[in-house]
Amino acid sequence: MDELTREFLIESQEGLDRMERCLTDLEERPEETSLLAEIFRSVHTIKGTTGFLGFKRLEKLAHAGENLLGLLREGRLCASASIITGLLQLLDGLRSILRTIEAEGHEGQGKDAELICRLEELQAPVLSAGAQPALVSTASASVSAPPPIAAPPPPAASTAAEEYEGASRPRAQANSAAESTLRVDVKLLNRMMNLVGELVLTRNQVLQATAADPKLTLLSRRLDMVTADLRESVMKARMQPVSHIFSKMPRIVRDLSQTLHRRVSLQLEGQDTELDKSLLEAIKDPLTHAVRNALDHGIEPPHVREAAGKDPEGTLRLRAAQEGSHVIVEVADDGAGISVDKIRSKAIERGLITAVRAAQLSERELLQLIFLPGFSTAAQITSVSGRGVGMDVVRTNVEKIGGKVEIDARVGKGTTLRLRIPLTLAIIPALIVRSVGQSFALPQGALSELVHVPPEQAAGVIEWIEDAPLYRLRGKLLPLVFLDRLLVPGAQPQLAARRDHFIAVLDADGRRFGLVVDGLADPEEIVVKPLSAVLKDIGLYSGATVLGNGDLALILDPGAIAMRAGVAMGGEAETARQTGGDVFGDSANAAEYLLVDAAGRQAAVPLADVLRIEQLPVSRIEYIGYRPVLNFEGQLLPVDDTGGVLAAVQGNPQARIVVVVCREGGRHVGIAVSHVLDVAAGSDLFDAGTQQRSSGVTLLANRVTGVVNLGAVAPLHEPQDTTGEWNQMAETVR
Amino acid sequence: MSAQATALHRREKSASALVEICSVRLGPGLFGVPIRHIVEIIGSARPHPVPLAPGFVGGLLHYRGDVLTTVSLRRLLGLPRVDQPMDTLILESPAGCFGLLVDSVVEVLTLPAADHEPNPSTLDDNRKDLFAGAYKLKGSLLVMLDPQRLDPIRLGAARAA
Repeated sequence: MDELTREFLIESQEGLDRMERCLTDLEERPEETSLLAEIFRSVHTIKGTTGFLGFKRLEKLAHAGENLLGLLREGRLCASASIITGLLQLLDGLRSILRTIEAEGHEGQGKDAELICRLEELQAPVLSAGAQPALVSTASASVSAPPPIAAPPPPAASTAAEEYEGASRPRAQANSAAESTLRVDVKLLNRMMNLVGELVLTRNQVLQATAADPKLTLLSRRLDMVTADLRESVMKARMQPVSHIFSKMPRIVRDLSQTLHRRVSLQLEGQDTELDKSLLEAIKDPLTHAVRNALDHGIEPPHVREAAGKDPEGTLRLRAAQEGSHVIVEVADDGAGISVDKIRSKAIERGLITAVRAAQLSERELLQLIFLPGFSTAAQITSVSGRGVGMDVVRTNVEKIGGKVEIDARVGKGTTLRLRIPLTLAIIPALIVRSVGQSFALPQGALSELVHVPPEQAAGVIEWIEDAPLYRLRGKLLPLVFLDRLLVPGAQPQLAARRDHFIAVLDADGRRFGLVVDGLADPEEIVVKPLSAVLKDIGLYSGATVLGNGDLALILDPGAIAMRAGVAMGGEAETARQTGGDVFGDSANAAEYLLVDAAGRQAAVPLADVLRIEQLPVSRIEYIGYRPVLNFEGQLLPVDDTGGVLAAVQGNPQARIVVVVCREGGRHVGIAVSHVLDVAAGSDLFDAGTQQRSSGVTLLANRVTGVVNLGAVAPLHEPQDTTGEWNQMAETVR
Repeated sequence: MSAQATALHRREKSASALVEICSVRLGPGLFGVPIRHIVEIIGSARPHPVPLAPGFVGGLLHYRGDVLTTVSLRRLLGLPRVDQPMDTLILESPAGCFGLLVDSVVEVLTLPAADHEPNPSTLDDNRKDLFAGAYKLKGSLLVMLDPQRLDPIRLGAARAA
């Protein structure tokens, strides 16, 4: 394929993408002429250029479309639903020809007559009105047909179009955009990313090597800064706004809502959120799937919604936002939600879990079952989608790129699917672990927590069922996988008494297990290098990386390890845990609490409000009048001592206490405690007889526990004075 | 592939009478690798071991931004393991570069192409697959290695089959 044709294909695709966006907008605002002008321009440019390149089939189709669009643009036809459908068909027709050209180098044989006929029919109301239409069609044909003598290059054709339209402003904008942007081959960007990764590694090594030499330190610090900037710029070059995917959604929603007879308003938020191009590609299918599901099973038909007292028009919200080093993409509908009971019975029926196990799972955990392969609420399968069908594929696809999927649903209120996507694939945060005398990198995406097993406890904490090692993690049994035994078959899985051991609790593909390693090193940002097929086939490593000290390390694949070790899908990938207590009432209200011991008395702090847990000597606590305060990162923190922890250690300046730093509204407060006991899910308690929810207490591990009232901690100064200060502090803490 | 290799040799013979060969030592034996397949020679490397890898894999090597798989000629030929740094030849293959671990690189020889003879028919089939004939040196034979046949991906596939 020659350069000109390739250029034409790219430009036409972009034009058609624009056209698609405009068409769906047009349906909502049919009177907006700028949209029509834009659509007309896209089709016109294609027609002009095809004539020159000799794609007759494409030209004929574009011409038919242009005639219709001409009438619309002149206001002689109104953009009705049927016309928009016709134009969308035209769009699909043009796209399919372009695809054929791209794949085979020629237009191929296709039957466009029907479509052309249909486009002509749509012009009928005007055409039958009088002689004028003939004039119109000749006018547009004569101006836009390629000049017979010297075939102009594509830009000339579009200039002609512009003159014809007399709408020069948008075109001028497009021109300036063309001057300030450049098309770059993705391969080149990939190579640049690779080289930058290499530079990052070299920099790490230079930094380590020059740390001792003061003359070099300055230089290496400069190198450090430039490298970081360069890395960011190259990463940015690979970024594309999510609008690239979001813009496809109005069309999908439109088509589906017509097929399924739904009324849906689509809201797009955070369209400029940027994501690495390859990741954007990777989430396209899962996202489309989620949107289909939301329309098919989430949003009810209008009459059902009305009967339920809802707006007959459903709302589908697509939201993208960056959160730290992740991008969150949410698909939320206000439809029927998912019935947990149905999931439970279906999962038992399919033999995915046992009835006993199902009874133990919380509502949130049950919801996650729809991600299991083979889960499908068959009664609901339609041609469009079946809720659950392919949800496992959605999760697999998202986890493949280091992301996570969560689902939230309330019956009658709606469903929210949340995708958590890392910003980039090439550089990932990882924890370096040691085993069999080597370093391995464990991607932090799969890591949920670390457990340290001190030498003196090593023998006692591992329990066995036959030869399956287990660890009791907050009352639940966690299957263990010994990395050394996995890597060196035949090695004895025993915890050597004189060594520290670490259990990395991993969540991968819905499998939860503990990986026992010999040691931990620092977390590092690692650059992922691909492995040769021979080593990939081993099935334990997803790549290799070069560490800051210049050593190589293999990157472990948690999912593959789980599979190799035979860890079964638990259907409990979520971190929400229950500690055996019965569930009272609506367990969706169950929250997690930090269980603390305050001078011998147990109390609970809502985990969501906890920012930090600081262990410090009691001498760090100072007093303003009688109020204990803590100088915490340059800010004064009021410390609550309702539990009498400070009083209990008074006169012993060596004593250490724990301060739980919490968020309370717009400010931060500290709670003095003796020590932190555990994290547990608490459930609401109800007053006997009244069935009123009691406040201030919760049921934790079958014990009634008081919840610390953070709001009761008095501020130090006037609220007005402090708010700004606390806000500022909130920034620094984050 | 072997037909291709023979064609290559024939062309060499007709085009120029001389061939440049890098000779390497492995235990008692002397082996040769055509120099035009060698990208670079790295001295005294200690490749990073890969647990559970196939036997012929000598480990991983960081080479110009890539992590290369290396093939241990010792293990491939069933010689005992020695604990000492090895010289590594970085070789080109259609699937990318890989490393070949040898005891030491000796020298680059320029030999007349006419001195080349194909594998003897009595050679073990296993070896026939790895070797590409030999050059007759004064008093000894230089056994030729075909880099294409040493590609870890090919070796892995052969091992699986």
